[in-house]
Amino acid sequence: MITFKMNGKTVQGEEGQYILQVAQKYGIDIPTLCYHKALEPAGMCRLCTVELFDGRRTRFVTACNYPIWEGMEVKTDSEAVRKGRKLIVELLFARCPDVPLLKNLAKKYGIVEPRFKKEQDDCILCGLCTRICEKMGNAAISLTGRGTEMKVDTPFHIQTEYCMGCGACASVCPTGHIKLEDISKHAVKKIPSEYDMGLKGRKPIYVPYAQAIPNIPAIDRSKCMHFKTGGCKICAEFCGVGAIDYTQKDEIIELEVGAIILAPGFQPFDPSKHDTYNYARLPNVVTSMEFERILSASGPTMGHLARMSDHKEPKKIAWLQCVGSREIHPSDHPYCSSVCCMYAIKEAVIAKEHSGADLECAIFYMDMRTHGKEFERYYDAAREKHGVRFIRCRVHTVEGVPGTEDLSVRYATEDGALHKETFDMVVLSVGLESSPEVMELAGKLGIDLTESHFCRTGSFAPVATSKEGIYVCGAFQGPKDIPQSVIEASSAAARAGALLSSARNTLTKTKEVIEQKDTRGERPRIGVFVCHCGINIGSVVDVPAVRDYAKTLPYVEYVADNLYSCSQDTQDAMTQVIKANNLNRIVVAACTPKTHEPLFQETLVAAGLNKYLFEMTNIRNQDSWVHKESPSKATVKAKDLVRMATAKVALMEGLPEAALDVNQRALVIGGGISGMAAAKTLSDQGYQVDLIEREPVLGGQAINLYKTWQGEDIQENLKTLVTSVQGDKNIETHLGAELTQVEGFVGNFKSTFKAGGTKGTLEHGIAVLATGCYEHKPEEYLYGKDPRILTHQELDRKFIDQDSSLKRIKCAVFIQCVGSREPERPYCSRVCCTHSIGSALHLKEINPGMDVYILNRDIRTYGERELLYRAAREAGVIFIRFSRAQKPRVTVGKEGIEIEVMDHVLQRPVIVMADLLTLASAIVPYKDEKLAQFFKVPMSEDGFFVEAHAKLGPSQFATDGVFLCGMAHYPKPIDESVAQAQAAASRAVTLLARKNISVSGMVAYANPAVCSSCGVCVEICPYSAPSFIPKGPFAGKAEINPVLCKGCGLCVSSCRSGALNLKGFEEGQIMAMINEM
Amino acid sequence: MNDWQPKITAFLCNWCSYGAADLAGVSRLQYPSNIRVIRVPCSARVSPKLILAAFRHGADGVWVSG
Repeated sequence: MITFKMNGKTVQGEEGQYILQVAQKYGIDIPTLCYHKALEPAGMCRLCTVELFDGRRTRFVTACNYPIWEGMEVKTDSEAVRKGRKLIVELLFARCPDVPLLKNLAKKYGIVEPRFKKEQDDCILCGLCTRICEKMGNAAISLTGRGTEMKVDTPFHIQTEYCMGCGACASVCPTGHIKLEDISKHAVKKIPSEYDMGLKGRKPIYVPYAQAIPNIPAIDRSKCMHFKTGGCKICAEFCGVGAIDYTQKDEIIELEVGAIILAPGFQPFDPSKHDTYNYARLPNVVTSMEFERILSASGPTMGHLARMSDHKEPKKIAWLQCVGSREIHPSDHPYCSSVCCMYAIKEAVIAKEHSGADLECAIFYMDMRTHGKEFERYYDAAREKHGVRFIRCRVHTVEGVPGTEDLSVRYATEDGALHKETFDMVVLSVGLESSPEVMELAGKLGIDLTESHFCRTGSFAPVATSKEGIYVCGAFQGPKDIPQSVIEASSAAARAGALLSSARNTLTKTKEVIEQKDTRGERPRIGVFVCHCGINIGSVVDVPAVRDYAKTLPYVEYVADNLYSCSQDTQDAMTQVIKANNLNRIVVAACTPKTHEPLFQETLVAAGLNKYLFEMTNIRNQDSWVHKESPSKATVKAKDLVRMATAKVALMEGLPEAALDVNQRALVIGGGISGMAAAKTLSDQGYQVDLIEREPVLGGQAINLYKTWQGEDIQENLKTLVTSVQGDKNIETHLGAELTQVEGFVGNFKSTFKAGGTKGTLEHGIAVLATGCYEHKPEEYLYGKDPRILTHQELDRKFIDQDSSLKRIKCAVFIQCVGSREPERPYCSRVCCTHSIGSALHLKEINPGMDVYILNRDIRTYGERELLYRAAREAGVIFIRFSRAQKPRVTVGKEGIEIEVMDHVLQRPVIVMADLLTLASAIVPYKDEKLAQFFKVPMSEDGFFVEAHAKLGPSQFATDGVFLCGMAHYPKPIDESVAQAQAAASRAVTLLARKNISVSGMVAYANPAVCSSCGVCVEICPYSAPSFIPKGPFAGKAEINPVLCKGCGLCVSSCRSGALNLKGFEEGQIMAMINEM
Repeated sequence: MNDWQPKITAFLCNWCSYGAADLAGVSRLQYPSNIRVIRVPCSARVSPKLILAAFRHGADGVWVSG
């Protein structure tokens, strides 16, 4: 350590350091132009000149490259120094009068006009570019010439082969003199960020995206200069923990597994193949994926809606649907991509949220396919509330408007009128496709693909590939949205789990349990650990000052600062410190508890402390990173945060985490396809199941269904399923049975049921609700008035029975959306379009001469079902679209059923005489309020059960231990019902397999003596944790079931008597933090 | 009066707004330092009592976000 004086103050630096480095450490500002921390200093610009007194005389040296020595005295801001610097700035300003950097410097030094002759240069000859080029292991540029002739140049003043276009020179040039196109012979391109769809560049060393797991940078060896020249290594020099390892190589790892799950996803369709959309040529024609990034707060425009060409805020945006989908052109795909209608509506609504209501959004579509749960409502709201315009037209050409960045779209409306409209941006709703890599993988694995290149699966085994032991989920199984992907993911896990259930727990390792110290009644002894996080915190917040400040706080017995608190060696050291100093409360001031709290809690446990005797405060993400410009204020904030955390932690108590046994039996309610598939999956995993069905037979709605959309015989498959359930010794079926009472909670339910005259009781750890739906009995189109007017199930019954009368039918008509997409039932029943088309094709098979009409509002044959729609058109089925305002009119005459409908093409009414009319009637839930109350699960206004999370928790309820599948969730076809049944079973197994559940310590608790029995807590808790004590001295008062409590504190803040409190976030603990603010 | 800065107390939900504040850090968004965050398990935990207590202890503004 070398001690010397800087501006009269004693300072210290390491041997070999330069004056500038020490000055920077002490926050003393010395201006520089040619200094860069990654490069050896060169003393080129002379701006960092300081005054040095060596004991005898004063002289001027450049701070950047003058090594420090013991006893020297440095003045960085004396009058003489300032004068000297002013002269240097004046000279440089005269040389480069138009460079903003020097203009600002000149202003700072009070120079209006230089006294010297002005030159029109923009290079200050700092040499940063040439030095960094050398550092990169290259020598494409150097300082050439002598004296006044000196300049940065390439050999022979021509573009050079040797430049690799890394851009390091341009990135360090302070004046903007360096232009890569002058240097390099090769075209220089920025590295496109894959995550931002190429709208933004990225570095050769980068974190792929903000939420990447693991969240650590990777080096792109194909771009990194070190891997090209052996030079650079700047990242290794700067990494405080030496984490950069250039020797790492790709490894081949061999794993022995019993099952494989394929979840390789999709790639977005590339519209640059189409010159008609001009995607490749016009920058304001973007794909929907690019538009997602533009809307994203972490995207290239930070969530500000702007077009990429000129950063203008768009006022009019058009979405073009079905780009790459539903098209027979060879470079396109004939199937429907399922998700684009919904995402386009979502993007339009969000764009309006970002830009304000005056943004005009128009969606050009063929059929609006909002067939998912709550999607139709979203569509209605987009149209009616948000004013998104929907135009039914397939736009074939997008052109640039000459002289502007705008785009012109030509289209025809349904009345045949041609329109030309100008938009600021056009978003192409691109479809989903399997990538060539995925197809290659499928080839290697030997699994069958469909003609659309998705994995071939069957309706009754929707995640099983053609090869045993290999399962599939997500968009590779077929184009689909998030909820369905999540369902299939759980389903695939269930199938793999069933296959491997005999091996369960054979490879698990048990963790050593360290005995916990009882700290109750002890005076708090707080240890505070302040983290530098390398330079992340330390370069802004004065960490030693925060540490020293913490020592002055009440009950603080030990303080320390760590370079990286989360590193393994620091963790071990902390464990020792806690033990040696007998600490019983810990505060860590570091990054965010969201990622690191569990790690430090483990350290506490390793030191024998209860993990709740801990508080973490965030001085990185919410301090040093966001207040970079004001280090002193950031330090004050860090001290405040540490003070608040210590005040809270002093009041923290060790909290128990009770373990609760889980009853290993399962109850499945509903004996339809979903219920049976769920029961079967649970049984396959080795669990005992009670299956309860209200009807005297198993099968549910499937009893009346003929074929799946893939053409599988439903009756045959149903029979196989029923037989396997009935023959399964793990499954006990209770037919004609209904639940009368349910008590208990996750792990310990007790249900009573009534079957015929007898009553039974079932004890079970989990429950699966698979109560299904039924077919709506239509009230319109003369249903019930004529035997030739049927519903889908009634027609299917005729198919099953091979009714010979079908052969004699000359004309059959289907009417869609009977009871669906109506004000009283505003949802789409999802399956009817496909069902009608399947039935129409079957009728055509029976009698190819039959005329078949399908009257519809939109045809919603999503995914590969679209191929069926195409087949129907090829077979001559006629599709006529009607609107809800102009529904078909049905009358029954002698000759047959007369159906009058407004034809959308002819724009005039047509009359069809049919001898069979099939109504695609709605699918209606049972609205079983009693069941909802039994299991304390919510129900939507349509009567469907509401899952825990629409996207991420589609097969489970917010209430622990209760799961959901099949049509009780939403109308769905058999393949999706089976997938969800397997998913619900899969989610249930995650609970059953644990055998016991540990309850979080941070739960609410009641003080019955203060409770006024108002019942607000019981009423409002979304998890049904509070209830009234049934008997005893506190009968009628509230109590909280810690097993069900999620620790949100809603009941606590709503309790008017102050009877409730939340462990870990007690009133007193939060108040202590507020007190210290 | 011109350099007066309000003191702001923020009660942020652990699952959303607190995470968002973390993300603001990851994105290096810069904002004034006169805000003190109290992490709560859910914005539902914040009772009027806590808001009033913050004002009583000198907060000029209280932000509940969740």
